[in-house]
Amino acid sequence: MKYLYEKDLRQMKYNILTSTRHDETVRAVAQRLGMSDAKLRRALIQKLDMSFLENLESRWQMGQKHADNGDPVAEELGCELFTRFIPLVDTEAMQTIYSDTTAMAQNTPLDEAIRRGKERIREAILS
Amino acid sequence: MKKTVDVSIPLGPMHPCWKEPVRIKCETAGERVLRTEIELGYMKKGIERIMRGRPWQEVMFLAERVCGICSVIHNMVFIETMEKISDIAVPPRAAYLRVVVNELDRMASHILANFSYCYTIEHETLAMYLLNIRETVLDNLERITGSRINTAYMIPGGVRFDLLPEDAAVMLADLMKVEEEMKRYTRIFETGPLIALRSKGIGYMNREEAIRAHTVGPTARASGVEDSDLRLCHPTYQALGFTQVTRTEGDNFARVMVRFQEVFQSIDLIRKCVDTLPEGPIRGGGLCKAGTASYSGEAPRGELTYTITTDDYGRVVDITIRTPSIMNVEACAHAMISEATSIADVTSTFISSDPCIACNER
Repeated sequence: MKYLYEKDLRQMKYNILTSTRHDETVRAVAQRLGMSDAKLRRALIQKLDMSFLENLESRWQMGQKHADNGDPVAEELGCELFTRFIPLVDTEAMQTIYSDTTAMAQNTPLDEAIRRGKERIREAILS
Repeated sequence: MKKTVDVSIPLGPMHPCWKEPVRIKCETAGERVLRTEIELGYMKKGIERIMRGRPWQEVMFLAERVCGICSVIHNMVFIETMEKISDIAVPPRAAYLRVVVNELDRMASHILANFSYCYTIEHETLAMYLLNIRETVLDNLERITGSRINTAYMIPGGVRFDLLPEDAAVMLADLMKVEEEMKRYTRIFETGPLIALRSKGIGYMNREEAIRAHTVGPTARASGVEDSDLRLCHPTYQALGFTQVTRTEGDNFARVMVRFQEVFQSIDLIRKCVDTLPEGPIRGGGLCKAGTASYSGEAPRGELTYTITTDDYGRVVDITIRTPSIMNVEACAHAMISEATSIADVTSTFISSDPCIACNER
């Protein structure tokens, strides 16, 4: 059953994300994740509500300052950044990716392990 | 919203407790709130787009129309951003007068926010007392600026009107009355057992969560976030010896109490300003030039940031406004209301964060 008061918010969410400051933030996040802006925008629209999208810029700034301080693998993957500051990935899924990446880093070069970890993060975001 | 349970309770967009239309969708399990989602878009003004391409003389009036409650600070931050772009100096007397008007506006805003909270928890007596005393504050704002809400008091390089000695005397007498009354109202709020039941330990947000969402203003200060008041960095406030009010409880009670405490602080600041008001002109003059600048000021609800680009003719080419409610409303929905033990606390918790939807949607 479709309720009358349930509106399609995608257009309004898209408008929020394409305003000057938000667009800059989306591009920065997409670059960090290594994915296209359009794909990230679609994931943000699907996963986050309007007030979260409005606050995206501030959360991104705070994440840059305070998230994942200390652990280089967690910092590269953005474990806290993409679960607690900008919740695009489930905490459990991110924990699994982090554990697997740390384990992989024992046998393979760190860059390669992180590259694979980031690939899995992108898959988790788009799933 | 992805459904996890069957019971989804929509609050708003038209709700007796809301001052402005917004919709909060709550997913609940019995009384317990599991998830919340905010739905905006009922009062989008597109004011940033309206401002673009217009001369600063027009944008100045538009800026204070972003919000009807804290219009003075929008005027102040816009003008101080223009002054930063154009290297315009403000005479000391004008800088002090700006603080006087800004603090009167802050008092009016905080009293209105606490009125709304008391009204929401159905303590109508205290709510009406607060609304009544707010009139005295607005009368003083009108006496100085000629208007209660949209004052357009500040202009690049100064202010529009001086504070006459007889007006200052009346204002100080009124502030004494406001202080006395507010002490009584604060005591009623602090000691009321029913108020405590609806406020203490309700809508809790810890310091880490407040930092993560970049919460600002009294909402951040009630959760123990230090150095979260931009008045600490403002030269005039520094000269007046300003210190930040901070509490650590992080609940509805703390947020309302921070506002009560800040009203007394504003009264003290105004008194200091009047006592030490420098002699001299109230307008320094200056020409608005081309450039880009970002500037933040402390609004009653927290950090307000204007980023402006102007051209050689003083036209605003680009402008973005980041209002405090963007951060506070989001933190409220995702940190304070989520996991609330009772759906009845959703409205009071939302109001305790002093949400301004007009600011949020711009």
